[in-house]
Amino acid sequence: MRGRGLVLAAAAVLLLASWWTSGARAAVQGPKRDLFAPPPLATPYHGSLDGLAWGGDGALRFAEDRQAGVTNPEWFSVGRVNGFLLARLSPSIDVAGQGCWDRDSDDFTMERAEIGVRVLRSRQAHAGIFPVPLGRTNLSHDGPDYDFAERSLVATQLVGVPNAQLGIGARSLPGAGRRLLWEADLVTGYDDGLITESPGGTRLPSGRNNYGDKNGIPALAWRVALQGRSGSEVGLAAESGQYNQTVVGGVHVDSARWMHLVVADGNTAFHGFHLFSEAAYAIIDVPPGLRALFAEQQCGASVEVTRTLFDPLFRGWRGSCVTAGIRADAVDFDRSIQGDSRSRLSASVNLRSRPLAVTRFGWYYEVRRDRFNNATPLAGLTLTAATYF
Amino acid sequence: MPHHERDYGDEASPTGQSLVTAIVHAVRFLGRNGWRIAAMVAICAASLHTIGCGTLLTTKPDPGERFDTPLPGLDNGELGDFQAGHTQFRKSFTIAEGLGPIFNNVSCASCHSGDGRGRPENILTRFSRGTDLAPDIGGPQLQDKAIPGAEPEHLPAGVDISYRMPPPVFGVGLIEAIPDSAILSHQDPADSDGDGISGRANMVTPAPYVPSTVPGGGPGLHVGRFGRKAQVSNLLQQTVEAYHQDIGMTSSYRPVENINPLASHAAVDPAADPELTDREIENVIQYMRMLAPPAPGAPTASRVRGEALFASARCAVCHLPSFHTGPHEIETLADRDVALYSDLLLHDMGDGLADNRPDGDADGHEWRTAPLWGLRVAREFLNGQLFLLHDGRAHSVDEAIRLHGGEAAGARDAFLAMPPEDQAALLDFVESR
Repeated sequence: MRGRGLVLAAAAVLLLASWWTSGARAAVQGPKRDLFAPPPLATPYHGSLDGLAWGGDGALRFAEDRQAGVTNPEWFSVGRVNGFLLARLSPSIDVAGQGCWDRDSDDFTMERAEIGVRVLRSRQAHAGIFPVPLGRTNLSHDGPDYDFAERSLVATQLVGVPNAQLGIGARSLPGAGRRLLWEADLVTGYDDGLITESPGGTRLPSGRNNYGDKNGIPALAWRVALQGRSGSEVGLAAESGQYNQTVVGGVHVDSARWMHLVVADGNTAFHGFHLFSEAAYAIIDVPPGLRALFAEQQCGASVEVTRTLFDPLFRGWRGSCVTAGIRADAVDFDRSIQGDSRSRLSASVNLRSRPLAVTRFGWYYEVRRDRFNNATPLAGLTLTAATYF
Repeated sequence: MPHHERDYGDEASPTGQSLVTAIVHAVRFLGRNGWRIAAMVAICAASLHTIGCGTLLTTKPDPGERFDTPLPGLDNGELGDFQAGHTQFRKSFTIAEGLGPIFNNVSCASCHSGDGRGRPENILTRFSRGTDLAPDIGGPQLQDKAIPGAEPEHLPAGVDISYRMPPPVFGVGLIEAIPDSAILSHQDPADSDGDGISGRANMVTPAPYVPSTVPGGGPGLHVGRFGRKAQVSNLLQQTVEAYHQDIGMTSSYRPVENINPLASHAAVDPAADPELTDREIENVIQYMRMLAPPAPGAPTASRVRGEALFASARCAVCHLPSFHTGPHEIETLADRDVALYSDLLLHDMGDGLADNRPDGDADGHEWRTAPLWGLRVAREFLNGQLFLLHDGRAHSVDEAIRLHGGEAAGARDAFLAMPPEDQAALLDFVESR
């Protein structure tokens, strides 16, 4: 509990610091690549031709993972394979397709099948499948983007990165002098998979693949972000919607039940350190028959600090750099009990060949607690490589 | 051209000069980047050292300190079965996989903390009308959780109620391997020796689906040995009924969903029945069979004295220190001593502990002598707490002893008559099991 509290407190402080410094001129250090432009325009292209661009990214993971001293025999896995195609039909109309297999979702995900139309100079209306704006990590989650082998627990266990939904909405586009960015969408939202397909309790990511909108009632997803001139940013996002079906096969089975997920994120630079934090809070209206076993409130936070150590790594190797980072993150899957939580500390040393690739050498130590609050330690040494292609 | 951008490979020169040139440039490169290289080597070395460092990559817990450790002496095939059962025991079922429609919890492990005892929030409520298990009103167990669309049960009025804490599951293979004759030899149903302690086996009829090939199975009466009232004679029935009643999972043995008969409308989960395979049931049974009881604590002087006091107070008449197992298909379970501290017989425990609800041949005052093993580490899996007796009302061994009555009144009074240091020694002994 104390560890989770510390992470939450640190996240709160960092979010406030990001807000405070969002107008500062201090340059943001670190490897973050063009963090504030919406993908896929920001993604390095493998190739482009007459308004058509294509490319992708991939990540491999080699690891010695241990749980309570027992080595996991799975020493190799694919972290992510992603491919995208972007067509600029006219100066104001983009069509984008992006699909991936991702280790965190353990599934093929259509991340983007979207048409965007620029309206006015700085706004874009868009429709289709696109990443919901639930925090910076979900908006920018390509494999080479991270400084750690794994995404944070907040990102994977609460937000469910990659989290793309079908919908329609509008967003402001980044540009010179614009400090306030926003996006507002009506999306299909979550389905009752967050309860019916969740082993051991409420798990939001199990309800995210609701492309058909089972209950036909859209959810509202939005994000507002304030940017500093030099790259600091603080953002607040949320998604709210009815997740369940009230009538199945003509039979009334339940009343309408809502879920709300609020995500705050911030990043800033401080004396050469790059700080990033993300926090999330979820409120789920659980059917009465499942209460006490399925959580009605969940929360989590992550705080990471990275610094560029050598830039370039060796003289004569331009574009290379070494960064190092440390991250603390925690998720409480059920605020009403002690237990049912995960806390993790990660450290990583990364060799980057900017802007395309990164090789990360990392270590993590995690404590998982069951609903009895029994702790199981997990730890691992990881070697991950991620690149655009 | 800046020095660091020069392409040394283009220099045409005899082989010997190339080698010298390469060495010179390598030395220069090292000179310019030496501290960076040293730093990278240090980082790599520290990381590689981490692989061999147990503390940084977790360590195995002491097997004697846990409830989910396999018995020593299992062969590789048995250990493979153990691992499969371990996974199955911990598997949390989703509604899509068949959880419900009414149920108590989502997995075996979610009631048995670390494979040990449960907590009060996991307590089960059994109810009946006398010996009538009352299936028409939802008996014999209250399922207070339900999937969306289904209605959880509510306790009907006018029924006999018994609260049952989830018991530990380790050591059940050893209990299974104890011959009927060994248990029956300790019976004294008429109290023929006049010591005030009778004790009798709960002779039960197994469920019809339990074949004779299963220990404790087949037609006719068998010695009940599992459950708070020894109301079950075999592990197949215990496991199938727990899946069906507690989790709402059907199997070929119980293929029909357990539903709330008083619900206004019928609702079932979306999974096809049976939801469990016979193999999955067998995996869990084999896993439980092979679970070792935790090791007892070291025999300190206090504990040695406590053991003698335990015997002199006649606690050991019911909490029989040891049984010897008979033959068993799992070799390591056969022909060995079992420090169970139970005679597995029913005893009248008095009005204070009576649930006044019969269960099989056991009446409302009778309970099976609870095994005492695992008490030493039980608190570690219950957030530092302890919940003893059938309904968890006792929070320490001392409190549990004081709540004994009926046939155990003599032993209780003997304990209460001891000086505090003797009581402490006896408690130290019991809590070291």
